[in-house]
Amino acid sequence: MYGAILNVKFTVVVHSAPYSTQAAASAYRFTKALLEQGHDVYRLFFFGDGVHNTSKLTVVAQDDTNWQQQWDKLIELQKLDSVVCVTSAIKRGIIDEAESARHELGAVSLSSSSEISGLGQLIDATINSDRVINFG
Amino acid sequence: MSEINSSKTVSIISRQAPYGSNRAHQSLDIALAAAVFEQAVNYIFMGDGVYQLLGNQNATSIQSKTLVNALETLDLYGIESIFIDSQSLRERNLTPKDLALNASIVSRGEIAKIVRASDSVFNL
Amino acid sequence: MSTLHTVSKAPSFRLLETCLSIIQAGDAVLFIEDGVYHCQQSTELLRNSEVKFYCLREDLIARGLIDRKLDTIETVNTQGFVDLCVQHDGIVNWF
Repeated sequence: MYGAILNVKFTVVVHSAPYSTQAAASAYRFTKALLEQGHDVYRLFFFGDGVHNTSKLTVVAQDDTNWQQQWDKLIELQKLDSVVCVTSAIKRGIIDEAESARHELGAVSLSSSSEISGLGQLIDATINSDRVINFG
Repeated sequence: MSEINSSKTVSIISRQAPYGSNRAHQSLDIALAAAVFEQAVNYIFMGDGVYQLLGNQNATSIQSKTLVNALETLDLYGIESIFIDSQSLRERNLTPKDLALNASIVSRGEIAKIVRASDSVFNL
Repeated sequence: MSTLHTVSKAPSFRLLETCLSIIQAGDAVLFIEDGVYHCQQSTELLRNSEVKFYCLREDLIARGLIDRKLDTIETVNTQGFVDLCVQHDGIVNWF
């Protein structure tokens, strides 16, 4: 019966920051695997501390994995829809050009591959995806 | 945003106490967003999540917003399917009289059915 | 209708207990991250014949558990994790 399902649309919700717990790394490997298997990502949604995965202002030691860069590359390469929850993001210093200008912050920290938007995008994703999976 | 044209059932299981972590608040944010977008919402309190419902909270003492005040307004957002796990209350020596919210007290078996009938589940 | 549950915390968090209390026959549990420590010893919770248990191979290897895993728990890699998500109608994540 499952043979009929050729292509499944996933939304992956990331609740945790990289380096603190394994969850973001698990989410990354899961996302890569589902794409390799021919499934689709409807949306990546970074929520709460998960927004830290989308910072472009990070430097890691050479023998460490730069998770933010890994996400950025994957999102760019696969042209994924990647959304960062606005209320989670701006209070954690994840700032895009619009927020930077609005609050006169003088800096942008959000990777250009992701966009800041509201929780409505998460609800939209629950409506339009076949599966929603959370990593936290 | 792509068009939102169908209603699905979103269940939120809120298992953490308020203030010590942001999970309780995040559960609320998801529930409110789902309700605003006219989805059917089941809001389930279990485990330490039942502590969110205690009356007489005042989080101004820790420079935080008092969560239960927001939970008391859920019906204004059309969220009426609120469930409290009876086992979690019992394990914490709490009764419905201790709670600031009127909601259905349910068994684990009933929660299992609610979860099974959901299109998506946020378990925080 | 069936649900895949993932459990990503060690047994001391007692998430599996809560998870199994709302599980239904035909559901599956996949242990990931620190959840794979559940696979190290047999417990009453794991002797639930209505539920199929799986664990994530990469997380077992990382933790030195690949040869200590219970035979009753099936190992899947991340591709298998994706397949389990596809095979079940819903996903509930315990973290």
